[in-house]
Amino acid sequence: MIQIHIIFTLLSYAIFLVACLAGVLFLVQERLLKRKQVGSWIFRLPSLEVLDNLNLYALGLGFIALSIGVLFGFLGIYHELGYWWTGDIKQYLSVGLWGWYLIVWWIRLRSTLRGKRVALLSVLGFTLVLFTVIEAGMWQSSAHPYVDTRV
Amino acid sequence: MAHIVVVGLNFKSAPIALRERLAFPQDSWSSLYPKIQQQVGVQETAVLSTCNRVELYTSTDNMAAAPDRLHDFLIDHSRMTASEVKPALYTYTQPQSVQHLFTVTSGLDSMVVGESEIQYQVKKAYEHAKSEGATGKYLNVLFQKALNAAKSVRTETGIGRICNSVGTVSVDLAQKVFGSLKGKSVLLLGAGEMAQSTLKRLAIRGSDHIAIINRSQERAEHLAQQHGGVYYLWHHLEEKAAQADIIICSTAAQSAILTKKMVQGMMQSRHNRALYIVDLGVPRNVEVSVGELDNVYLFNVDDLQKIADKNDLQQQQAILASQKILHRKVEHYLNWWQAETSRCAPSSWERAEAS
Repeated sequence: MIQIHIIFTLLSYAIFLVACLAGVLFLVQERLLKRKQVGSWIFRLPSLEVLDNLNLYALGLGFIALSIGVLFGFLGIYHELGYWWTGDIKQYLSVGLWGWYLIVWWIRLRSTLRGKRVALLSVLGFTLVLFTVIEAGMWQSSAHPYVDTRV
Repeated sequence: MAHIVVVGLNFKSAPIALRERLAFPQDSWSSLYPKIQQQVGVQETAVLSTCNRVELYTSTDNMAAAPDRLHDFLIDHSRMTASEVKPALYTYTQPQSVQHLFTVTSGLDSMVVGESEIQYQVKKAYEHAKSEGATGKYLNVLFQKALNAAKSVRTETGIGRICNSVGTVSVDLAQKVFGSLKGKSVLLLGAGEMAQSTLKRLAIRGSDHIAIINRSQERAEHLAQQHGGVYYLWHHLEEKAAQADIIICSTAAQSAILTKKMVQGMMQSRHNRALYIVDLGVPRNVEVSVGELDNVYLFNVDDLQKIADKNDLQQQQAILASQKILHRKVEHYLNWWQAETSRCAPSSWERAEAS
C-alpha cells in the first residue's frame, strides 16, 4: 500500500513538473508576443496552444495520480495505526496540494481561465510541490524523512 | 583526372520564357543521361530541372572540352539560336562547381533564400540519376556531401525558419499562437491586397472556415470563391468576429471598428480561447487597448514590419554563417577528391612499367 502511495505521489510530482515547464514556456512566449519582441528563436519553441493543452492534460493526469497517491497514503496510515489523521505536516501539505490542483484543474476545465493565468497557477502549484517535498523532508517529526535525520 | 563541371541557367540569368524552353521533364531524364554521356563525353551525369533552374552536373576527364560541348547540348535541346541561349548560361569548373552545388542545395541560391524545397529537388535529381546508373564515385560523394551540408546549414543556422516579410511574419505569428492552422476560422475585414496575400498564405497552411466582410461585395465574393470562403454583410461583423480565431483587418475606416469592449464580449463568448488579430489598416482598425486583453494577440502593420526588419538582419547573419559552414564542407569534399584522384592515378613506376 505504501509502495503504491510512493509511486503515484512521485509520478504526480513528475507530471506536475511537466505542467510547470509548459507553463513557464507559455509565460515567456506570451510576454514576448505581447511586447512584440519576437526573435526567430521563439519559433523553435512549441506554440501557445500546444503548451496550453499540454498544461491541461498534465494537470488532469497529475491530479488523478496525486489523488491515488494521497488515497493510498491515508489507507496506509489507517492500516498501520488504525486511524486516518496523524497530524503530520506532510498530511496537511498533501491535502492542501490536492485541493490546489483540484481547483486549478476545475478552473481550466470550465474554461473560465485559460492561457496565461492557468500557466501561472500551474507554476505556483509546482512551487507548492517543491515546498511540500523539501519542507516536509526537513521536518524532524515527519513520517516522510527525505533527509535522514538519524545521523 | 575526373573533374566536376556544371553548366546551366537559373532565374537570375534567364527569364522564364527561356527557362521553360530548356527545362527537362522528369520522364525524359532516363534517356537524357546516356545522350549527354555520349555526345559530351562525360563519365557521370545528373540533371537538376526545377522551375527556377536547369543545371547539368557532370564528372569528366576532359575539363577543357566539356563546357563547350555541354553548352552545345543545351542549345540543341532548346531549339533556339546560340546567341539567344549562350548569354544566359553559366559554367562552373572545379572547385567553383562543387561550391555551386553546395550553395544551391542549401537554398542560398534560391529566389526565396533559405527555402527547403530545393533540397528535396536536389535529392530527387540525385536519386534518379543514381538509380539509372548515371552517377559514379565522384557525383555520388558530391551529392551526398551537398545534401549533408544543406542539412547542417539548416539545423545550425536556422536559415529556413527566418521570416523577413510582413506577410510571412503575420502567418508565422498565427502559427506561433495556434500551432497547426488546420480548422482555424479566419475573418477578413476588408479585402486589401496585403490582406488577400495573407489570407492566401493562411489557406495554404490549412486555415478554413473563411468569412469575408467587405464594402465592395463583388471583390469579396470573388475572393471568397477563390479560397472557399463565404461573404457576409457588414451587420454580421460581431457575430462572425466572435467565431473567428484569426481576424485580419484592412479596411479604410476612419475610426476603430473593433473596440476593446466588443472584443471583451467576444472573448467571453469564446470561453477565452486565443484570438489573433492582424491590423493592416491605416488609420488603425482595432483599438490599441484590445492588445492588453488576456489571450488576445494584436499586431499592427508597424509591429509586423519591425519584426520583419529584425529578422532580415538575422537572415543576413544566418547567410554569413551558412557560407562559413559550406566553405568548410566544400574543403572536405575537395580533400577527399584530392586523396581519391592521387590514389587512382597511376604512379610513375606504373607508368614506366606500361611503357
